[in-house]
Amino acid sequence: MTDPTDPPIERLTFDEALAELQRTVAELEAGGQPLERSIALYERGVALHERCARLLAEAELKVQQLVTRAGGALTAIDVRPEDAREAE
Amino acid sequence: MRPPSREEDELTTPAGPAASGPRILAVTEATRVVATLVRSDDRLRDLWVEGEVGRVTISTAGHAYFTLKDEKSQLQCVWFRDERIRSAFQPQTGLRVVAHGHVDYYEPQGALQLYVETLQPSGVGDLAIRFEQLKARLQSEGLFEAARKRSLPARPATIAVITSPTGAVWKDVCHVLARRWPLARVVLVACQVQGEGSVQSIVGAFRRLERHVEALRHEGRGGEAPAVTILARGGGSMEDLWSFNDERVVRAIVGHPLPVVCGIGHEVDVTLADFAADVRAPTPSAAAELVVPDQAELAASLARGAERMHGAAARGLRSAALDVAAERRLLDQLHPAARLAASRERAGDLLERATRAVRVRMTDRRRADERLAERLPGLVAGRLAVAGGSLSTAAASLAALGPGATLERGYAIVRRRVDGAVVRDPAEAADGSPLLIRVARGEFPARAGDGRQPT
Repeated sequence: MTDPTDPPIERLTFDEALAELQRTVAELEAGGQPLERSIALYERGVALHERCARLLAEAELKVQQLVTRAGGALTAIDVRPEDAREAE
Repeated sequence: MRPPSREEDELTTPAGPAASGPRILAVTEATRVVATLVRSDDRLRDLWVEGEVGRVTISTAGHAYFTLKDEKSQLQCVWFRDERIRSAFQPQTGLRVVAHGHVDYYEPQGALQLYVETLQPSGVGDLAIRFEQLKARLQSEGLFEAARKRSLPARPATIAVITSPTGAVWKDVCHVLARRWPLARVVLVACQVQGEGSVQSIVGAFRRLERHVEALRHEGRGGEAPAVTILARGGGSMEDLWSFNDERVVRAIVGHPLPVVCGIGHEVDVTLADFAADVRAPTPSAAAELVVPDQAELAASLARGAERMHGAAARGLRSAALDVAAERRLLDQLHPAARLAASRERAGDLLERATRAVRVRMTDRRRADERLAERLPGLVAGRLAVAGGSLSTAAASLAALGPGATLERGYAIVRRRVDGAVVRDPAEAADGSPLLIRVARGEFPARAGDGRQPT
């Protein structure tokens, strides 16, 4: 029963999901919407909360190092913290 | 205070009237004279001595014994274990040092020695003066003004770290970021943080990072650029940290386009880089903690948001339940008894399920520990979905069972005008009493009777 224009929750970033969750809570708390609407809001809110919690729980710090490629361009490459290279 | 004894009196005033000829002193007496003299001179109670360290021996108890010397003289020094182990700097033969302590005479060995409290390399005094001079100059330029400090982003997606990859600092920073805010990406910009060339290396790291940010923005990928920069270095001596007091490093921090958090050395170490930074953290780990939110705190605040949402949804359901209950009371009065009983049971059942769902969720929530709090909203969502669906079904079935549909089929509801009671038995309507008859599209008055005799 969610609004078909709402973006799919699975694609939201943490910040997007959090911002929408905050709006949803505020709207629900303000009240005044028909029952169907408040249930839809609630369900979406719960799903947004789950999305945030899952993103946090599953997240793993991404570690990179800025290195100079041949030709001088700078790129961030993935490294393990213990494998980072010495200063250039 | 104990009054001086007669004996001491004589000893400290050897030229006094009591002296009637050369007097032979015991060794203890003689050393006491020396000790008393030494202890009576304020200059020896608290002094700084600069010199070169001679031979150093460390006793099994951990005390250090060494000589301090210059071209003409030397002075025995002892540095007790407790004071010594607190210092990062240790005496080594040949080093020029400044020792701080007091001079005393150790009678059991007849040794006059400097009891060292602190020891530091010579020249630190010069560094301190240079530090203050540069600080004053940069301050007068406004580089340390509070007004030019930038605030940190609340939840940076990418964090740049300028430090050395060797040593614990880089790993500590990664560890803290992984624990507190694993959604982040951390980008190391490696540099050398001490010794020859470290200033150029630090400034170079800032320049590379700035070129990288600039290039990403140019490609329209500015969102991937770091939002904050940490400049970090582990603890060390004042010389080790000296690069962070260099004017070039200070200017690199001030000119950096991203907010800079400095975490250099230990809490007590303050460098000019710290003054120039937008935020000064006492240590590298603290710098990492400062730049990101704590996921545990955020999860707690999310859980509070979810609770507020549950509360609001529960209130909504309750008022809907009250509406349905009101409809049901109307039905009670208007509907044929048999069907009403069935419908009441059904509506009641649905309502009860809805209420139970809300109540179960409330109880669960109270019991919830942190772990459960994460799973709970899912469980509740399921329950409330059932409850919500049930309520819609209830509303639909109530509409189907309502009097409107029945009346439409040609039935009528007869009520006594005096009290509005529904007439189910002819005996309830006395002959000639006024009635109200409700049909599908309205109501009209009538009278009971019409010649028929009451039974």
